[in-house]
Amino acid sequence: MQRLYVGGLSHTITQKDLKDRFGKFGQVEDVELRTRKDDEGVPYKTFSYININITDADLKKCMTVLNKSKWKGGTLQIETAKESFLHRLAEERQTAEQQRLLPPAAEDQKQKMLDSLSKAGVENFTMKAAVPGTEVPGHEDWVVSKFGRVLPVLQLKCQKGSRARTLKYDPSKYSHNIRKLDRPSADQSFSDLPTPVSQLTWELQGGDDDISKKRRGEFPAYEPPKRKKSRTGAVNSLKAEGKPRLKQSVDPVALTEAAQVTNGPKPPSAVRPAQRKGPPLTLSDIDSDDEIHRIVAVQSSSHNALQQEEDEDKLEVVGLDYLVTPGRARQQQKGGDEEENDYDSADTDELLASRKPPPPRASSPPPPQERPTLTAGNISGNNTDRKRKTKKKSKAGEEEDDSTDAEEPSTQKRRDAGKLSSQKQSKKKKVLPVVKPSSSESESDDEEEEECESADSSSDSDYEAMFSNVTRLEISLADLQKLAEEFQDTSETTVPSSLSVSEQETKPPKKGTTPEEILAALMEDDSSEEEEQQQSKKKKRKADATTQLLPAFKGTKVLNEGSETEEGQKEEEEGEGTEVKKLKVDHKATSSKMNGQKHTETESSEDEDEEEEEEEPKKKEAVVKNMAEKAESVSSSSSDDEEEEEEQENKGKVFKTMAKTSQKESSSSSDEEEEEEEEEVLKANQTVLTSKAAAASSSSSSSEEDEDEILPAKAAVKAAPPPAPHRAKEEEARQRKANIRRLAAVQQRQKETEENKKLIQGALANLDAPAAGAGKHIVFGSDDDDDDEEADSDDEQQTTSEIKTPKKTLFQDSQSETDAPGHKNTSTKEKLSGTHLFGSSRAGHKLMELQSRFGKDERFKMDSRFLEQNEDKEEESEKKKSGTEEEEALEEERKKSLSILQSVLGISQHTSSSSKATSKAKTFRDVSALHYDPSREEHAAFETKTEETKKESKAARRKKREEAQKLPEVSKEIYYDVSGDLKAVFGQTKEEGEGEEDAVAVAEKEETNWDQEEEKKKEQEEAGEQVEQLTPESSLLSAEKEEASGFKFSFFGDDAETGSGETAEYKIESIQVPKLSWQQDPRFHDSSSDEEEEEKGQEEEEKTQSTIIAKIEETPTKTGLFFFSPEDSRLTEGPKLFCRSSQLEEQKEQWEERRTELRQEYRKKHKDARRKLKTSVKS
Amino acid sequence: MRPLTEEETKVMFEKLSKYIGDNIKLLVDRPDGSYCFRLHNERVYYMSETILKLATNISRDKLVSVGTCFGKFTKSIKFRLHITALDFLAPYAKFKVWVKPGQEQSFLYGNHVLKSGLGRITENTMQYQGVVVYSMTDVPLGFGVAAKTTQECRRVDPMSIVVFHQADVGEFIRNEDTLT
Repeated sequence: MQRLYVGGLSHTITQKDLKDRFGKFGQVEDVELRTRKDDEGVPYKTFSYININITDADLKKCMTVLNKSKWKGGTLQIETAKESFLHRLAEERQTAEQQRLLPPAAEDQKQKMLDSLSKAGVENFTMKAAVPGTEVPGHEDWVVSKFGRVLPVLQLKCQKGSRARTLKYDPSKYSHNIRKLDRPSADQSFSDLPTPVSQLTWELQGGDDDISKKRRGEFPAYEPPKRKKSRTGAVNSLKAEGKPRLKQSVDPVALTEAAQVTNGPKPPSAVRPAQRKGPPLTLSDIDSDDEIHRIVAVQSSSHNALQQEEDEDKLEVVGLDYLVTPGRARQQQKGGDEEENDYDSADTDELLASRKPPPPRASSPPPPQERPTLTAGNISGNNTDRKRKTKKKSKAGEEEDDSTDAEEPSTQKRRDAGKLSSQKQSKKKKVLPVVKPSSSESESDDEEEEECESADSSSDSDYEAMFSNVTRLEISLADLQKLAEEFQDTSETTVPSSLSVSEQETKPPKKGTTPEEILAALMEDDSSEEEEQQQSKKKKRKADATTQLLPAFKGTKVLNEGSETEEGQKEEEEGEGTEVKKLKVDHKATSSKMNGQKHTETESSEDEDEEEEEEEPKKKEAVVKNMAEKAESVSSSSSDDEEEEEEQENKGKVFKTMAKTSQKESSSSSDEEEEEEEEEVLKANQTVLTSKAAAASSSSSSSEEDEDEILPAKAAVKAAPPPAPHRAKEEEARQRKANIRRLAAVQQRQKETEENKKLIQGALANLDAPAAGAGKHIVFGSDDDDDDEEADSDDEQQTTSEIKTPKKTLFQDSQSETDAPGHKNTSTKEKLSGTHLFGSSRAGHKLMELQSRFGKDERFKMDSRFLEQNEDKEEESEKKKSGTEEEEALEEERKKSLSILQSVLGISQHTSSSSKATSKAKTFRDVSALHYDPSREEHAAFETKTEETKKESKAARRKKREEAQKLPEVSKEIYYDVSGDLKAVFGQTKEEGEGEEDAVAVAEKEETNWDQEEEKKKEQEEAGEQVEQLTPESSLLSAEKEEASGFKFSFFGDDAETGSGETAEYKIESIQVPKLSWQQDPRFHDSSSDEEEEEKGQEEEEKTQSTIIAKIEETPTKTGLFFFSPEDSRLTEGPKLFCRSSQLEEQKEQWEERRTELRQEYRKKHKDARRKLKTSVKS
Repeated sequence: MRPLTEEETKVMFEKLSKYIGDNIKLLVDRPDGSYCFRLHNERVYYMSETILKLATNISRDKLVSVGTCFGKFTKSIKFRLHITALDFLAPYAKFKVWVKPGQEQSFLYGNHVLKSGLGRITENTMQYQGVVVYSMTDVPLGFGVAAKTTQECRRVDPMSIVVFHQADVGEFIRNEDTLT
């Protein structure tokens, strides 16, 4: 088939025409007629393509016939055209299809090889379990490489230089370092397939954090700011959910805190979502008070755990005056021990106030559903009690501790649950214990807190399960209410204390001692008791090392605690009398225990309580064998809650027997504390017998009793509470007894302390005996007394030793004290005697020894009076220099170092040492208080010898008058001195005019002196005196003064008095800075008014010479220039020095001449020197 | 054992003043007696007069330590404070730094204090000011030199050093054999 192009057709030609025309030569299959038209649609060109089946001969024929022939007004132009593209495409496809049908030969070969390989065990070019290097059987040039891959051995042609050779490359030999990059995954099929390109992406698997989301282009949907209501809702839910959730990323507060807590380099992912999820709570966001309250509540609940971290997170900046108190922190950590130290000096009242637990919130009556649960729990409680009893018998102290600890919270919970009935387990998790989660007490506290927050109740079943095996306490609603009322009635300093349920402090005894032993110990004297206490204390402290502080909880527990504290305090007082420290500690401990919160439990008082309690049950057992008693004994070993329970049990079951036993006990027991116990028991019985209300009141009365007891013992520390109205007579009697005993004990204590004091004083007196004079003046002031009181607590030996220490320190400061005044005194005698106060006599020797041994104490300074009185004795003895020298050296060293310090710091330090200052303060005498004492030698300095000076002054005055007329001869040098002394000229501030006049007068005198050279010689001296006037102002003044008033001015001491005649020896010198102890330096004794008067007198004298003064103008003082007068010769000479005197050329010539001369001279000298050297070498 | 020379005293006071400023005065003249500095084995000891007198009875070669060692002079006559001086630096320190509990240990092992461990700092602390390092419970742990001012400390990133370590109480164990 041929395709022809026919051009040059006329526009009118149709397809049929063309078909007919070309149909002669072949079969026309298709005619494609095309017409080209211009813009107007007028055809200007027409052509066509014709598909025609035609042979080549026919095509030739056709071409020759029709080509360039004229047809219907156009010249035909026929050409063979290319095939139509559609046709070609079809053909291509056809051929491709054909080719696909026939398999190619090369592939055949490959296939063959693969087949053969597969026959040899190779699949997909891998041969499993084949060692690298093994040849594939049947294929010499195929080798197994690593990982079982089958690779061909290559023949490499290597053209080296001209000849070529083949290298054989065996891939198996180079395969050892091949490593598989892709891990074989679980599904082999997937891992085998390479990742398709379409799946290749830049996407990063960033995770869920928002920054990576943003990177991926996913932005969080816009969230409108949360409504406030929802936030409070969140707060509530948070409360309910508890701690763990808080810690997680739910609560915005917790989150932000957590984020801040890390505060380190942290991927932003952790922080960002938190911030985004909930905007941090700021105060500005919170509008309503309600919300704020809620939020505060939540935060306070979470505060325990987060407080520390919050502290950490922000960088505090404190001022320079920030006080570092190491005690504070340790106190927090360790509790009791530290506080003991802290409150050493505090009064008991203060202590009470400080220790007073916060006002009890739980005094409000509990909800009514408490009752049933409590009764239900009672039975189970008994069981546990029995169990505990067995434990106790085994005397495993630690275990007991644990058990009680474990039970404490549980009982607490039970009570709380009655009120709140909230799901406890979640709560338990909720609040993390601050420091150590291990202690169960803290947990209980936390739960209490939560109760306060009034969490909602959800899972009662959980709670039931938890406390199924836990003891229950019977407290009726009525009871509690009554307690609360009574609490309010008894207005007392320690408010919560009066709220006590008559429950005894119970702690498991940590001593290994049996109750009998304890009883024996109690029967013994106080000292032994104290020792016991100390022992127990130590043990307890060890045990309590793990306890930690928790925020105060105001709960029902406070009710119990108050009474406990009171009792503990009272008992301590009994046991320890005036011992302050221990009392404090104990008190604190008890209160803390009661609270079960901030403070560590257990101190000695509690121990005592426990002991007593133990004794009690024992006796009971002996008298009456009762189940209740057993229970009691058990409970006594356990926590206070259990104690309560025990009491309740007594109520319920064995009240009558109890009454009996209690009475018996009261008769038998001699100890007051036991009596207390009995009272309590009695009360309990009463409560059972009468009513529950009665019980409550009795318990309150018991607390009051305690307070009463405290009153006599403490000597009225508190105000007496109103006596309980329904106190039984026997109780009162017992009470009185106990009080008497207590008082007796206190008195005994005081006696002991008195004795101690006496002993010590006696010892001191003995010590002082050799230096009796010194000893007398030491007063044992109030300080000493205090010491004694403090020391009372310790046994006698200790007290004595303690009081000895202050006694020792007595002479410590005395050394510094004594030598300090020594330094002060101008008279060397005093000084020496002061310093060798102790060193001289035999007695002093002893003191010296003491001194060397003891430290220094401010309280026992020896005052100057002491020194002065002793001086007489000491003066006799010889003086030893060595000691003082040492001290002086030290003093000097100190001064030196201070001066260096001053230079280092660049600050003007007060060079006076503080120790010096103290001594100075001693010796310093007030100016106004100073009285002239004629009997004292030092005061002689204040005296003035008037007779001599008067004579002198008269003479001087006469002379002066003479001077005024006949001017004395004065040497020239002195004149220069005068004029040069600027001080004389300018130094005066007040009396400037006069000073000037003086100077002028003198100058004038000199001039006149020159004029009248023949003037008499006798006035030489006066002239000298006159010169002296011109020298320093002060000397002049003094001389004048003597003349004027006849009053001796003691600037220069005796010299001034005597030497007015021979004043020539005076020299111009600056006045020394006066020494500090002014009364010994008479220089300060002068009055300016005197001076002025004298000055005036002088003025008058000088006015006689005023005519002469007027003449004098050339003196430098008149010109007012400082160094030069206008016509000074130096001013003219000076500039000349800067100008050349001769011409430059002349100078040059001169220099040239000079130079040659110099050179010659030098050479000559050089030669000479060489010659000399040579000769010297030779010789 | 001898008193310090003027130069030595100056050097030592200069060093001490970096930590306690003009409170050195309180060391030099104490109200409770005369105290002095003595040089022994290139170390400076601070002792009371009474101890000084007692120490004179011991021969120089036998005397290991007397009073409190404040530090030692290097061969180039620089003064280096020892941790034993902390007892006297801590009460008088002008500038203090508190480290968080987490960083206490790190500091006590001889590391610098990082910003992340900085719990509290005295205001207006200058750079290279000597500071005494406390724990958050106000127990002095040692001393060092402020690497940043207080203002910089606020801004700086958490891993940057805030206080250069100089001495810590851990040295009582680590340098037990050399501390006197």
